[in-house]
Amino acid sequence: MSTTASPSDLADVPAYRPGLRSLATLVAAEARMVARDTAGLVVPIALPMLFLVMNGLGSSTEPLPDAGGMSAFDIYVLPLILVIGVATIGVINMPSFLAYYRKSGVLRRLGVTPASPVMILLAQLIVSVIQTALGVGLAVGVAVLGFDANLPSRPGLAIGVFALAAAAMYAVGMLVAAIAPTANAAVAIGLGTFFLLGAVGGMFGPTTNLPDGVAQVGELLPFGAAVGALGTTWLGRTPEPTHLLALAGAVVICGLLSARLFRWE
Amino acid sequence: MTAVHAHDLHKRYGDRTAVDGVSLTVAEGEVLGILGRNGAGKTTTVEMIAGLRRPDSGTVEILGLDPWRDRRRVRQLLGVQLQESELHAALTVAELVRLYRTFYARPADTAELIEAVGLTGHRDVRFERLSGGQQQRLSIALALIGRPRVVILDELTTGLDPEARRHIWAIVERLRDDGVTVLLVSHLMEEVERLCDQVALLDGGRVVAQDSPAGLVETAGLGQRVRFRVGDGGAPALARAALDDLPEVGEVQVRRDQVTVTGAGDLLGAVSTALVRAGVVATETRLEHATLDDAFLALTGHTLSTDRTDHDLHGADR
Repeated sequence: MSTTASPSDLADVPAYRPGLRSLATLVAAEARMVARDTAGLVVPIALPMLFLVMNGLGSSTEPLPDAGGMSAFDIYVLPLILVIGVATIGVINMPSFLAYYRKSGVLRRLGVTPASPVMILLAQLIVSVIQTALGVGLAVGVAVLGFDANLPSRPGLAIGVFALAAAAMYAVGMLVAAIAPTANAAVAIGLGTFFLLGAVGGMFGPTTNLPDGVAQVGELLPFGAAVGALGTTWLGRTPEPTHLLALAGAVVICGLLSARLFRWE
Repeated sequence: MTAVHAHDLHKRYGDRTAVDGVSLTVAEGEVLGILGRNGAGKTTTVEMIAGLRRPDSGTVEILGLDPWRDRRRVRQLLGVQLQESELHAALTVAELVRLYRTFYARPADTAELIEAVGLTGHRDVRFERLSGGQQQRLSIALALIGRPRVVILDELTTGLDPEARRHIWAIVERLRDDGVTVLLVSHLMEEVERLCDQVALLDGGRVVAQDSPAGLVETAGLGQRVRFRVGDGGAPALARAALDDLPEVGEVQVRRDQVTVTGAGDLLGAVSTALVRAGVVATETRLEHATLDDAFLALTGHTLSTDRTDHDLHGADR
């Protein structure tokens, strides 16, 4: 029964590492998971649309003075909607998938294959970026076609700032995933974090309505900083350094913390 | 060649010792069963062997490779089915098999593998909609997808109905026929007796005994038993005289007309021949083998499962 094998048999065992083909398959798998999670799709698409329509019907599209032809809707509402879109995906949805994968043993199962569990994180991130791009594209499309919105005069700058804002939101999301024991807990913590950051960052009205101290802190947190920095790019101006530093700081601090705290099982 | 070699593994969780000096050796092509009660340290042991959990001390070699240092090679050679580990819930059988295929250098064919575990009719069903037995079979399929030389299966039939269980046993039997080395964790006697060449009994984080199922029964001093009845009068004494000196016979007990002979080897043949020679007529002759269950009880001092049914108790009493 027992077969003998010379050590040379093992020499032809490749130290094979799954590569791009694996990652592509994993991205497709993650995309299916996201697409089949109908409830999870509602928030990142419906919430920005809701804000878009409510604000679009209420706010003026008259050009503001000294704003290069941009209206209040362009400068305040559109950036807000883009940030809501990326924050719901990064802070609420992505962590809930990762917490579910850890809780249910999916990460552990991948840990005994040649694939690294890091690959699944990367695949989730790629899918989230694609999802964000689609959601943002849809929101901007509706805003331009339905509400006569204007696009930023320096689109490259706007995209760069948005990418930084997205990185900050994903870093916050990774931190949520790192500390949440279950998928349900991740959704709860993610929603709480999202609404807290949103409330002090101008999601429910101008930050001028908030107490001074709260508004100042809110402006330095990822949501407020992202809305502020993105709004400036609509004017064609370079965002305030404090906003950019606040976003970069969130990426670094939350990124390091989550790397420290993340548990695979 | 040695397929799996674990040497003096120790693992503590806080102040609880889960594994306390376990050493195991599995020859290539062999099926080793790790048998023990809940909490005996079975899962911790195989998780250390699989390279999922670092031992506090001790070493592991899979086909001569260290699962931590040579992780990439070992992952190509070792297939693992984990206890209670879920897969992507919303993906179908075929999607999961195709996904896991991409991780390996020389994967098995998707359709063939799905056929081998009997899931062809369910290939487009999502993982979350499969029955427990079907999920388990898919889990085994994924453990086999890289054409591994060594497979670890942890509690592979726990919670399944008898039919699903037999289906999965047939898969393991095919692996054995293909010369794949299998490490099988179980707390089911029947499973281990049927599938394993070697059995390691784990109790309190230690290996109490390792041998073939029959060898364990022998080690435990529980050989075979022949029972028969003879006529009244001088027949019992005649029978005792005829049997006492046979090399196969260990002990002869007589209670009225009932004789019980314990021993080893071809006990039944030896007893029958001797009785015929002595002119003793035996009726209702029965040969009884001690089971692995009996051996476990004898070697560890307690029965295998804590929630034994009447049926099991009766079985252990044989």
